[in-house]
Amino acid sequence: MSQSLRPYLTAVRFSLQAALNLTNFSSQVVERHNRPEVEVSNTSAELKLQPMHVSRNEHEQVLIEPSVNSVRVSIKVKQADEIEQILVHKFTRFLEQRAESFYVLRRVPIDGFSISFLITNKHTETMKTEKLVDFIIEFMEEVDKEISEMKLFLNARARFVAEAYLGEFVY
Amino acid sequence: MEDWRRIDIDAFDPDSGRLTAEDLKPPYASSVSLQELEPKISQLRSAATSGDFLNALQILTTDPPYSADETTKNQYFHAVLGVLTQVRQADITNLVKQLSPKQTDVLVKYLYKGMSVPEGQKQGGMLLSWFEKVTQLSGVGPVVRYLSDRNTV
Amino acid sequence: MLHLRPENLLVQKTLTEAWNASKAGSPLTLDRVISDFDYTTLHVSNSPDDKSILWLSIRTKAWQSVVKCGGDFAGYLKSKYNGFHAVSECSPEQGYDFTVQVKLDELDADAIVQLSLMKIHIMSYPFQLAFDEFARLSQLPEGSNASDTVHQIQYRDDENIFIKPSSDRITVIFETFFQDETDKVFGKVFLQEFVDARKRNRNIQSAPQVLFSHEPPLEAASLMAARSADKNRRFITFVLFPRHFQTPELQFSSVCHLSLFRNYFHYHIKCSKAYMHSRMRYRVDTFIKVLNRAKVDDEEEAGEQTTRRTITGRKLVY
Repeated sequence: MSQSLRPYLTAVRFSLQAALNLTNFSSQVVERHNRPEVEVSNTSAELKLQPMHVSRNEHEQVLIEPSVNSVRVSIKVKQADEIEQILVHKFTRFLEQRAESFYVLRRVPIDGFSISFLITNKHTETMKTEKLVDFIIEFMEEVDKEISEMKLFLNARARFVAEAYLGEFVY
Repeated sequence: MEDWRRIDIDAFDPDSGRLTAEDLKPPYASSVSLQELEPKISQLRSAATSGDFLNALQILTTDPPYSADETTKNQYFHAVLGVLTQVRQADITNLVKQLSPKQTDVLVKYLYKGMSVPEGQKQGGMLLSWFEKVTQLSGVGPVVRYLSDRNTV
Repeated sequence: MLHLRPENLLVQKTLTEAWNASKAGSPLTLDRVISDFDYTTLHVSNSPDDKSILWLSIRTKAWQSVVKCGGDFAGYLKSKYNGFHAVSECSPEQGYDFTVQVKLDELDADAIVQLSLMKIHIMSYPFQLAFDEFARLSQLPEGSNASDTVHQIQYRDDENIFIKPSSDRITVIFETFFQDETDKVFGKVFLQEFVDARKRNRNIQSAPQVLFSHEPPLEAASLMAARSADKNRRFITFVLFPRHFQTPELQFSSVCHLSLFRNYFHYHIKCSKAYMHSRMRYRVDTFIKVLNRAKVDDEEEAGEQTTRRTITGRKLVY
């Protein structure tokens, strides 16, 4: 693990541990509703806590928005060039389309981020909080790795294909 | 009006009992102005240039300008960021050790604030190593206190 | 499957089937439409009167522009099939550009291969003109051997091949156009590698030089001027040196590869996408596994409770 990645992940881990302290909380506005308060904008500011930004640099950030019964975690994945942009976009979209099997994944990322998770008290009741944090951390590690591997693969394939094609002209 | 179904009519009702972020600010007796902060800023600058980081850290973590308005806070924060990013990595642990728990809490507030603005994000690595040292010494406590404190820096 | 084959396998298979059936004495009744790259359609059918005679027709996007290249195109195409008694030209079928009549009794394996190469033969005509022009130009003395002939093949709606012979080389320019945003980025990576491959790998130093640009190269500029510039257009230039077309065999192989360039290139972009997709699928599975680790195991807890039994040993149900 690279030198600057470790503090980044530790910071995210601590922030998540602090934020994932959720309780059941019925809506104050609509009867018999129970909604993730972090998703309901403009109402009840008292239910939201201070948002936490964890940034490694301008291109890699995590925003954690805690509230009384839900936490929204948004991740901005490093996108150094056009290819990575496309790959990140494809990859996150692929995940989002399968959001129902991820339980905590939000189908649409919030503005300015690549992917968002929404963890509610329902999730922390049925899952181990510690492991949920592990999941987010592992996700962050793997996504970076995956994107750079895919990029390398694309280049390697392009090179191989080009050489094979031009090789046909060598007599 | 393009999408009248989405209009939040309760927002226009003064009696809705709804609280906004403004309402949650703790009542301050008086607001600190930029002029009053100037001496503190120059103190921070001179301490940072002379390499007296412990002193600078003590100043910035004691009595932060909670009651100031946003622009003043940002002005002040520039000086704070200057101090935080000039410290050598190796010295961080020592400096953090000499802070009281209350001061650590203030430091964490500055770290989170730093990482939310572009100037601080450029120095993300530095702020993260501060953060790492703080959590090594005091665990998750300061983070939880940051979450629930309505006093912002 | 790294390379695309120049011959159309489906035509080959169909003809071989018909040939075998005819030899066995029970000729097939055929009416088959076969597709090839770049809006090419082939049609295999029986002659209405005689089952031992097949008609093979082709319609291709490139036909119009190839005819415009001038010269004796019909004669060229005829010459490709002259050597085979089984194959004779007849008037084009309705809706098709070119039709040959195939006598199954006299068919042989070579003829089948040549028939399945029909599309390549059509595409190769402008190249042949360029080779001839090159031969003429290289005989002329230095200084008076410039030519402004540029052959154009419009093989897709928006994409063209330009072929320009000069006295010491032949320049082939592909104009391509990416509709999909992802294809555009992937295509850029691939094209860049085509340009760099020759510089990097010593083994393929003798391959044609490849250039890549956003602006139409000078050779094609005269034909491009009429059309509006589009920033999504890319131009790939292959510079063929005499060593790439010294003999008819080399000419044929170069033409095959060049006319399949776009297909090859797009085919591999699609392949990369497919691979990425399968990779992402795998990655999603591992993520789900990690997430499932977080789940509190209901079974376990329920199991402990159901082991409660009554004094007689029966399970306590509640």
